[in-house]
Amino acid sequence: MSFALTIEPLGQMLTVEEGQTILEAALRAGIYLPHACCHGLCATCKVQVSDGEVDHGEASNFALMDYERDEGKCLACCAIPQSDVTIEADIEEEPDARNLPVHDYAGSVARIDNLTPTIKGVWLDLDRPMDFQAGQYINLRIPGESAPRAFSIASDPRDGSRIELNIRHVPGGRATTWVHQQLAQGERVQLSGPYGRFFVRESSHEAQQLSYLFLAGGSGLSSPRSMILDLLARGCTRQITLVNGAREAAELYHHDEFEALADAHPNFTYVPALSAEPEDSGWRGARGFVHDAAKAHFDNDFREHKAYLCGPPLMIDACITTLMQGRLFERDIYTEKFISAADAQQARSPLFKRI
Amino acid sequence: MDMPVAKKKLGLKERYALMTRGLDWQTTYQPMDKVFPFAKYEGIKIHDWDKWEDPFRLTMDAYWKYQAEKEKKLYAIIDAFAQNNGHLGVTDARYVNTLKLFLNGISPLEYMAHRGFAHVGRAFPGVGTRVACLMQSLDEIRHSQTQIHSMSNYNKYYNGMHSFPKMLQRVWYMSVPRSFFDDAVTAGPFEFMIAVGFSFEYVLTNLLFVPFVSGAAYNGDMGAMTFGFSAQSDEARHMTLGLEVIKFVLEQDPDNLPIVQRWIDKWTWRGYRVLTLVAMMMDYMLPKRVMSWKEAWEVYFEQNGGALFKDLARYGIRPPKWLDQIEFDKDHISHQAWSTLYQYGGASNFHTWMPSDEEMDWLSAKYPNTFDKFYRPRFEHWRDEQKKGNRFYNMTLPMLCQTCQIPMIFTEPGDPTQTCYRESTHKGMKYHFCSDGCKEIFDHEPEKYKQSWLPVHQIYQGNCFNPGVDPTAEGFKPLPVVLDYYGVGFGRDNLDFEGSEDQKNFAAWRGAATTNV
Repeated sequence: MSFALTIEPLGQMLTVEEGQTILEAALRAGIYLPHACCHGLCATCKVQVSDGEVDHGEASNFALMDYERDEGKCLACCAIPQSDVTIEADIEEEPDARNLPVHDYAGSVARIDNLTPTIKGVWLDLDRPMDFQAGQYINLRIPGESAPRAFSIASDPRDGSRIELNIRHVPGGRATTWVHQQLAQGERVQLSGPYGRFFVRESSHEAQQLSYLFLAGGSGLSSPRSMILDLLARGCTRQITLVNGAREAAELYHHDEFEALADAHPNFTYVPALSAEPEDSGWRGARGFVHDAAKAHFDNDFREHKAYLCGPPLMIDACITTLMQGRLFERDIYTEKFISAADAQQARSPLFKRI
Repeated sequence: MDMPVAKKKLGLKERYALMTRGLDWQTTYQPMDKVFPFAKYEGIKIHDWDKWEDPFRLTMDAYWKYQAEKEKKLYAIIDAFAQNNGHLGVTDARYVNTLKLFLNGISPLEYMAHRGFAHVGRAFPGVGTRVACLMQSLDEIRHSQTQIHSMSNYNKYYNGMHSFPKMLQRVWYMSVPRSFFDDAVTAGPFEFMIAVGFSFEYVLTNLLFVPFVSGAAYNGDMGAMTFGFSAQSDEARHMTLGLEVIKFVLEQDPDNLPIVQRWIDKWTWRGYRVLTLVAMMMDYMLPKRVMSWKEAWEVYFEQNGGALFKDLARYGIRPPKWLDQIEFDKDHISHQAWSTLYQYGGASNFHTWMPSDEEMDWLSAKYPNTFDKFYRPRFEHWRDEQKKGNRFYNMTLPMLCQTCQIPMIFTEPGDPTQTCYRESTHKGMKYHFCSDGCKEIFDHEPEKYKQSWLPVHQIYQGNCFNPGVDPTAEGFKPLPVVLDYYGVGFGRDNLDFEGSEDQKNFAAWRGAATTNV
């Protein structure tokens, strides 16, 4: 049977499957716990169990001493919960995380429209409003599929009763094919949420006077859009820049809305960039990939920012490299990338923790 | 009435910051630059020491408690091993020679690491960095002590382990590991951290410890193996410190990048050269092999190091220089080194031997492109000569590389039939090198490396004789007096394993332990 795992000081609760280690469950949920050897020898992943029982598994007697076991320490990479468990781990506290509880929701499709030839906008009216933080995602049930699919919420969090999803059709993907070919107005849907730890670190922006930089590509625009709508609606006065990448002009969506926002808010700058727009199309904006456009716009100097990255893995990777060469480092870079158990296994160096 | 409010518990990071940060102050009657005189001369620019992120949050009281229990466990096992005559359970007495190599060449370096971290801990103006260096300094002296204790039991029974501090200073090939660490501790504090904290503890440490610790496990040496497990729970902390150092320095100022890159190039090459001794140990000295040097290099450097340098590329760091040569040489260096120690078996402090047929077949299988072609014929020739009573001992003194101090035994990049020689002229003097890497390191800092204490030169200059020796006397023979100066007993501590006291004693004692004769 599965158990509930609460991770302090985040206050985040998640489910651990039978036989799963604490480390694996945390990484799957997108919560980074320090770790290195992954088989109980190095003690990098030592955490305090403040409530509940764990099986210490393969933990070495030199890495986890008897007195430490008595004090309730465990090695997260080996420890398998035997009951509901609360741990206290060496992770950053996030003053901006609201740690909202996850609930199941039902609703119906209020509207479904083509935003671009490959992306549909789906507006869902929920039977009761969902409290979520801008940048979070929901898990949507797909008929005939056992596992739900994750979609970021693209709308302003102040309206929790109608949420907007922007869904790209993945050729051959069953869930997105269902959304694109079958889902229709009025249809009932089941979902759960809100999930994820991708949100703006507003208190750090205020304390250190940092500007906001959003880098989005493909259908990765959802979370940044929700974040920007939220910030502007709440009267944020710091500089906000959105660099939004697409292949060609026809694939740009919410383009007019962002141009209007840029006109209405002097502290908001909108930089659309097209990577495969025909030369003769008359496009007067930036050409190239998101990281190229960002580098040109900021003249290769990203200091005094925090950056939020959302999009395909290759785009994220290129953007991180560009940001770091422009002197913005890991502590100021946030991505929506999930760390899966597979990532924990693969030969990846421990140089970076979150990115 | 006031209601009691549950106070929010502090996170580990906040708690640690309260206990370790804000401990120092701005000096008033002396400028800070005089208090920290080594902090700037290397050219590394640090603007904000508070950006240092503590790689581990360990306090002194937790440290003592944890290490005390760990040590108790370790010593219980060492005692049990000693009382049960555990040394008679090792595969065969040749194995003990790997311990001689370790005790003479590595354990004293742990002590040097202790001194080095204590020194740089004092030299850094940032308090977080100082605390981290203090912890590692304590780890290193514990490692030195526990290693010496783990192996001291062997000193009661076997030769060549009786005066390791002296041998490290004097025996010719020991100048290879010793000069590596002397080089690091005489560098500035930032270079020391990149040299030892990053390049050695992070990039190369697995290549040193895994072969020795797994070698101990494979060959029945529970004492040394247990030491390895005990140390491993510290090594993870050392590795995270190495990573934090390089991130911190690179993020502080773009001008730091070329300086750090040069240090990574230099110290990866320096470390790799020292590991030649480990390569030889893995392929020739362990009676029961763990893996070949080549395999170890592929797993621990090419795969793990490759992932690291891919991530470091984001800072603009490129992989260390001369990797193409290392890649080519991984098929060669262990054989070249063993040939050398075999030839100079009359001047060293452990035993050597030629591999058996079965061992040569293992080497052929692990080195299919090179062993049979370049090395087996030489080894078979030496073995045949030994059978005829002509065990080959080279009685001349080899030329040493001015930088790594290894004899000039390595071959040209891409051509294993040509010995590689390089030279530079500095202020009218010629200096010799084993490789492009060692030459370039010298050329960048000739005033440092021209001071190298090269054992061969020192012998020729008459600096390796005990007081009272007269080299001008009739019939003077240098080898015996040099060995005397080393503290090496000729024929007892060295020469071939075949016929040695170690071999005879081990056979007799094991016989006594397993029969009723």
